[in-house]
Amino acid sequence: MTTPLEAAEPAVAQAAGPGDDRSTGRGTLQYALSKAGGALFSIAMVIVGTFFLFRLLPGDPVRNLAQGRNMTPAQLDLERRRLGLDKPLIDQFFDFVGDTLRLDLGTSYEYKRPVLDLIGERLGPTLLLAGTGLVIAVSLGIWQGARAGWRHGSRFDRFSTGASLVLWSVPTFWLGLLLMMVFGVGIGPIPGLFPFRGIESVDAPDGFAYLLDVASHMVLPCLTLVAVVYAQYLLVMRSSLLEEVSQDYVTVARAKGLTDDDVRRRHAMPNALLPTVTLVFMRVGFVVGGAVTVETIYTWPGLGQLFYEAVRVPDFTLMQGTFMLITVAVILMNTLADVVYHVLDPRVRAA
Amino acid sequence: MSKWFARLAALGVALLVAGQGATAALAQDPAAGKKTVRVGATQAMDSMNPFLAVRLVSTSIHRWMYGYLTVPDSKTLQPSPDLAESWTTSEDGLTWTFKIRAAKWSDGKPVTADDAAWTFNKMMTDEAAKTANGPAVENFESVTASGQDLTIKLKAPQASMLDNPVPIMPKHAWESVTDMANYDAEKYPTVSSGPYFAVEHKKDQYVKLQANPNYWRGKPKIDELQVIFYDNPQAAIAGLKNGDIDLIGRLSPPEFQAIQNDPNIEAWNTQGRRAAYLQINHGATTTDDKPVGDGHPALKDVKVRQALHHAIDKQKLVDEVQNGLAKPADGSIVPPMYTDFFWEASGDTKVGYDPAKANQILDDAGYKKGADGVRTMPDGDRKLEFRFSIHTDTPIEDKLAEYLTGFFKEIGITLTTKKLDSSKFSEETGVTGLFDIAISGWSVNPDPEEVFATHLCSRRPAPGGEGGGTESFFCDETFEKLYQEQLKELDRPKRAEILKQMQERLYTQAPIIAIYYPNDLEGYRKDRITSITPIPEDKGLLYGGSGYWPFYTVDVKATATGGGATGGGSNTGLIVGIVGGVVVVGLGAFLLTRRRKSTADERE
Amino acid sequence: MTSVAATRRRLALSRFWADFRKHRAGMIGLGILVVAVVLALVAPLFISEDVTSVVRGTGEKWAPPSLSEPFGTDESGRSILLMVWWGSRTSLLIGFLAALLSIVIGLVVGVAAGHFRGWLGGALMRVTDWFLVLPSLVTALVLAAILGGSTFTIIMAIGITTWPSTARLIRAQTLSVEARPYIERSKALGAGHWHITTRHVLPNVAPLLLASTTLEVASAIVTESTLAFLGASANKTSWGTMLRGSYDYGAATQGAWWYILIPGLAILAVVMAFTLVGRALEAVLNPRLRRAA
Repeated sequence: MTTPLEAAEPAVAQAAGPGDDRSTGRGTLQYALSKAGGALFSIAMVIVGTFFLFRLLPGDPVRNLAQGRNMTPAQLDLERRRLGLDKPLIDQFFDFVGDTLRLDLGTSYEYKRPVLDLIGERLGPTLLLAGTGLVIAVSLGIWQGARAGWRHGSRFDRFSTGASLVLWSVPTFWLGLLLMMVFGVGIGPIPGLFPFRGIESVDAPDGFAYLLDVASHMVLPCLTLVAVVYAQYLLVMRSSLLEEVSQDYVTVARAKGLTDDDVRRRHAMPNALLPTVTLVFMRVGFVVGGAVTVETIYTWPGLGQLFYEAVRVPDFTLMQGTFMLITVAVILMNTLADVVYHVLDPRVRAA
Repeated sequence: MSKWFARLAALGVALLVAGQGATAALAQDPAAGKKTVRVGATQAMDSMNPFLAVRLVSTSIHRWMYGYLTVPDSKTLQPSPDLAESWTTSEDGLTWTFKIRAAKWSDGKPVTADDAAWTFNKMMTDEAAKTANGPAVENFESVTASGQDLTIKLKAPQASMLDNPVPIMPKHAWESVTDMANYDAEKYPTVSSGPYFAVEHKKDQYVKLQANPNYWRGKPKIDELQVIFYDNPQAAIAGLKNGDIDLIGRLSPPEFQAIQNDPNIEAWNTQGRRAAYLQINHGATTTDDKPVGDGHPALKDVKVRQALHHAIDKQKLVDEVQNGLAKPADGSIVPPMYTDFFWEASGDTKVGYDPAKANQILDDAGYKKGADGVRTMPDGDRKLEFRFSIHTDTPIEDKLAEYLTGFFKEIGITLTTKKLDSSKFSEETGVTGLFDIAISGWSVNPDPEEVFATHLCSRRPAPGGEGGGTESFFCDETFEKLYQEQLKELDRPKRAEILKQMQERLYTQAPIIAIYYPNDLEGYRKDRITSITPIPEDKGLLYGGSGYWPFYTVDVKATATGGGATGGGSNTGLIVGIVGGVVVVGLGAFLLTRRRKSTADERE
Repeated sequence: MTSVAATRRRLALSRFWADFRKHRAGMIGLGILVVAVVLALVAPLFISEDVTSVVRGTGEKWAPPSLSEPFGTDESGRSILLMVWWGSRTSLLIGFLAALLSIVIGLVVGVAAGHFRGWLGGALMRVTDWFLVLPSLVTALVLAAILGGSTFTIIMAIGITTWPSTARLIRAQTLSVEARPYIERSKALGAGHWHITTRHVLPNVAPLLLASTTLEVASAIVTESTLAFLGASANKTSWGTMLRGSYDYGAATQGAWWYILIPGLAILAVVMAFTLVGRALEAVLNPRLRRAA
């Protein structure tokens, strides 16, 4: 939604490009190490960048942190000393880096609790929602994309491509609101079918019934997230399958007398899967963006909602902490994708 | 071609069944026969620690959980006994002795004066404990306890002593807390002395409170009180309509109109405790009288401020901006619901809507209109172009700004809107003085002293540009003198008289211009809540009120099905969902098996 | 010499147009775009900012669509049709400017990274990669929160978070252009960096840039509406702020479906149009994808 559709392709192509070391297992290890080094460098830049970005805030940082709440000069001084803001900038910088490396992300002003604790509480629901959404979106996207690509030009292909282009163009929040109106609140004679607030009912039962309760709460957020992210998997899977279709080996496989389905499943699909799978990791940042919106609309108690709260208040310590954590997570996922791609790509291995 | 459709359908159905299964599971909730009230809130709790919590929802919940020295009487709103059974004052008004009631904490331990003394002393000695209610103990010299007697010595007389906003905390459960700033108080069940105690809190999701059997007035009629948080106000309204919640307060006019015609909902529309006003930068200064900020010089002239006042059609603002759900303000900062303290302008003092008169005042004072219809300063060519500071996230203020721009254009004054996020807004309009006119408002407590204090000289920012808490940068000798007088006046009618004079001063000097008093808008489900008593009992407030009275008196139908999550519609939904689900699953399964067979055939 | 080149370019252009015309979806998209842009440009001839003024909203409040008000009215009695029309100016402006910013940064960095090998190119690619992984919506929200939500900051926030993908695309293209023998020849003839990049590389990456731009505009419009919805934008009337308004004023609970549906459909139509055109352009320009579309 916020990046062009086919943008992942150059990145993928580059990962397998001529510049890469494509020799043996030792090469892979080297490659992994160099990528890990790159990731560490990126993370370091995130920490440095965050420090200076949040020092760009106009006005007195203590006041910003206190959100304009009335404080006596004595209280302000105390805060300033507690936060180390009376020290020179360079000392503040090293304190910040040290604290961050020790995973001390400061204390939220709004919640009066350590940012890391708040994040810890929210991690589970976000992983649940984004994970489930991602699995559904990826499987649906790959499956539908493969079929569309295999028989491109067919009704199914035109329908899939059209539908995914529409979903791609829809703003997430708008889709979420519409789904909430139709399936949550109910329209006219249609009653609301699914809950649209939170992760569980207040009087949630125990045991298996609890799982069902959470599952029912997940339907609408998950549906929204899937609808918005799956389009890109579909489109990429489709175009990479299209490329495989014209390859010689496919013709050979057909000539051998294999059925259409078998050629697709055993030969074309595995090869076409690679770019799509890599894309899954590459686009984690995009899923995070979707999660912020979806969690906000459905009051889902995850990281995205926490981040939105931080922006809305605004609670800068919390914003800074969640921002760093989300970014670092995305960097790690991308690095992992790079390495996995390197290991899996048959062309890389064969060489 | 139907294969992919079958798979899609199967997936959708799986989700649907999961959803319906859960609803079905809910319907067999074991809590049948329990009386539960579910209150919706569009703000989540910031902290369970009453020393730190500042959000309105948190202070409300704490009011239901903890006793105070006194509470506003449910009829007159005058201070009445709570944990303090009775009290006496020394001749000079400096020593107050409270007799603490022989009540019990929810864990069975007795409430003593020691608990109260510990609470106040903690706040006086620990900076962190001042976060929520610091100013309440600023005037305390010492607090001591002996048996059930609590003695508070003051630095100076203070008539508002009986409106102390500090909840009394149990010493035995709290004295082990060392780092107050970082204590989240998430220990359940809580040790409480109010009508309810908390048993569970899921961050940003809900708080569950249970009736306190040890409550000194007797156990509330209901068993459980739940506060459910919504990020999305639309979802909260939908929740009320669906029956997911029983009551919601603090509605905006459009939200209120959305529930107004629902046959199951009682739309609660009474006078509110809030005053909305314009804050005018009439020459902001610091406590050492040095000017700060960049306010327009014309606003220093009281005539210009009065002309602005004449130019505002408050009735139109009420009709258009508040959808008629407010009362135009012909008074000042105390809303009419506080009959004892409310002051209303009449006769010559009353500033009515009269653009001609406003133009006349400005013409007479030498603010000539230029060729473009905009007035200029008498001594130069600076135009009367003011900025109007509002919040980014409050659409109603956008609307207000457009109307004011129109009104002021009529009198040759240009108004431009400046949107700020809440922290920058507070800084610019409360400390640095970088504004001309700003929107403001204040929820007034039964004792209005604090709202008056926000217009004192001492509340202006310190020379270093810190601290403060001024609502207007006002510093007026007459006002200061009256404030000191009312502090010492322990006779309620006499004190009310002084407070009215102070409001008149604010009205005529116009450092602020009150525009309207928004109504208190709430809604609850008639089919669930059988009785609830507002505060004050005559046309009062429910959730928006101060004190626990409505939630102590509330009674509901016992839930036959426990959660009852989706009300009447749920059964139909359930049946439709299940039947539909079964049909589609069957269809999907059929197609899938057929497909499997066909591929098997192909393979051989 | 010059005229030969010009003729060649003209020929290429007409061939390109002929190819593009074959893409029905692309043509439909182009049609919608032309209509939308023309409408936005001529709006001031027919209506003024007054249509967004609540003071002048004299119609009935929450009026459903009718003959006189085809798209109904909002909470202040303003015409949704006129507001969507006027709001298209802000939405499209932000979309185009943000895309332009993103493209300019992406182009400069991409060409530089492709042209200058060695440490400079390497460093630029590191920076690009770093920006590429930043979660864009989250970063844009942080930027808007810190710098305030003016139109300018929203454009900056979108531009800054979206340029890296363009940069990568341009770099790959630059690398392939510079591998061609005639660049070698120009270098031998003493052509400088400036000459090579502006005369040889730029004309060759320009078509690809066009495709990239259309997709960028589409995503910028969606991002703007999302930022507005999440309350980070202090803009005048745009489609995003209208949707925010429908949410703030409870259009859903009022049953005013037109207030929610119409601005959303406007976003959908324009974003779809951009995407269709972008895909068609890509298909025409990238022979590898030609079969795909």
